[in-house]
Amino acid sequence: MNETLTVLLESLVIGGLIGFGASAGVARMFHAPKVQGMGAFRTLGELNACQNDPVAHFSFGLGFLFNAWSSAVGTGALTSDVDHRIVPHWTASVAMIKNRKLAETLHNPRRMAITGTAVGMVLVTLLNTTAASIPHSLQEVAAKVLGPASEWLINPVMPIIFWMAAVDAGRRAGAWGTVLGGLGHLVMGNAVPGIVLGIVIGKGVDDLGWTKVTKSLAAVVLTLFAASTFLRGADVTLLQQLNVDIPHWLTHLHDVTGTKPE
Amino acid sequence: MTDTSTSATGGIPAQNSGSGSGEERAKGGFLTKVPGEGSFWLSEWAFPVFVACLAAGIFTGTQLYYTYGTGVFSDVAVASMLKAGMENGSYGAAAAFGAGFLFARIIEGPMVGILDIGGSLQTGVGIGIPAMLLGAGFTAPLEHFWLAIPVGALLGGLIGIAILAIRRATVNSTGGTSTFGADVMMGAGNSAGRYLGPLVIISAATASLPVGIGSTIGAALFYKWQKPLTGGAIIGAMIAGLFFPIPGK
Repeated sequence: MNETLTVLLESLVIGGLIGFGASAGVARMFHAPKVQGMGAFRTLGELNACQNDPVAHFSFGLGFLFNAWSSAVGTGALTSDVDHRIVPHWTASVAMIKNRKLAETLHNPRRMAITGTAVGMVLVTLLNTTAASIPHSLQEVAAKVLGPASEWLINPVMPIIFWMAAVDAGRRAGAWGTVLGGLGHLVMGNAVPGIVLGIVIGKGVDDLGWTKVTKSLAAVVLTLFAASTFLRGADVTLLQQLNVDIPHWLTHLHDVTGTKPE
Repeated sequence: MTDTSTSATGGIPAQNSGSGSGEERAKGGFLTKVPGEGSFWLSEWAFPVFVACLAAGIFTGTQLYYTYGTGVFSDVAVASMLKAGMENGSYGAAAAFGAGFLFARIIEGPMVGILDIGGSLQTGVGIGIPAMLLGAGFTAPLEHFWLAIPVGALLGGLIGIAILAIRRATVNSTGGTSTFGADVMMGAGNSAGRYLGPLVIISAATASLPVGIGSTIGAALFYKWQKPLTGGAIIGAMIAGLFFPIPGK
């Protein structure tokens, strides 16, 4: 079979699957924490920032479409914005054209899933088959304007927002959030996951005390941090920067597991 | 004043998440009627189904990338780790990075009520697990479309079930009355989106003067029309960039 046709047909199936799943998950986010949703905190915030206006949702998605398009041209990577931003916003926009009631559109998993399937099919096929044909000047704007803006949002703006929320949520959440946030930036490159886990432990202990649930939660989180430190080679980097000789067995262990820092 | 149904002024999130959203029941047809809390769409067991669909799509996207060089659902930096493995056969970095994210998000997801798609599925199922499979020599799921879909769906289903199991043991456990600070994080997540509009304008003004002017005018017009200024900032920057391309370096 012709390669372009294969990519086109596969893209239709892939787009339908991601559109259905992501849109249903995003609609369920608005019912969290009672219902388990799927998306991201920033997706939730950005959807709310568009204030159920179809034009705003559409233009928001459009900006990231150009970003994804330009990325697809050069590297074949569609960017994570496809599931986090373009699909949710365009699905919301289409769903809201005739009806502005949030309960019936953005917050309704059935409506979002069915609309999202169609949006995903069109979007992924478009990205995979036409990436080479978009105007160069628009690719430039997308890469040079939206790229830095969304990087700044993820780091440092979001860490600060979550950090302040942790500090305002009480002394225990603030303390855990601060420690795990700082460590999170050291070992994962972004403080948000650490702060979020800090709030989870801090508020959990506030509400329940040190029960079996909260103890095992803290143990799992600390294990996670230890594992990430090793897997990303942060231990070696730390020893280097402290001017301490790295033990031979540690270098060897990182060599064997393929986890040397860059 | 205008035809928008919210009374909020630009930039302020008009809606919040919460249980109040289901109250306004519609009388409309199949698509508009809000499924109730007890329906399939908001039920607990629908969650693994949705995760399975999304994971199947993302995993198959990686299959498309592996065979045809386009279609992976991750950012360039993350996808390049997988690409490095495809070129020189060392998948350690991609596998460790992806698996670490997947593990972190599976713990976090049930606690906060939102599973992060980027970390868990795009990085974990899209990059980490394929890197592990390829590193171990299992290339078949990444070479054949009809094998990639069920493998991705199975992985997603398992992740969904794991999340429900952790949820049962923690948030929904008997006697447990904690939401583990989900409300705190919802609030922070809600306010994060407000920052994007100003950030886009600052970034546009840094890129070039015409693009910065376009972005500022667009945002100001959207604010005047009581629309979120992020959309105006992006459209203004793009229109200006079309006529006055950003100079290289």
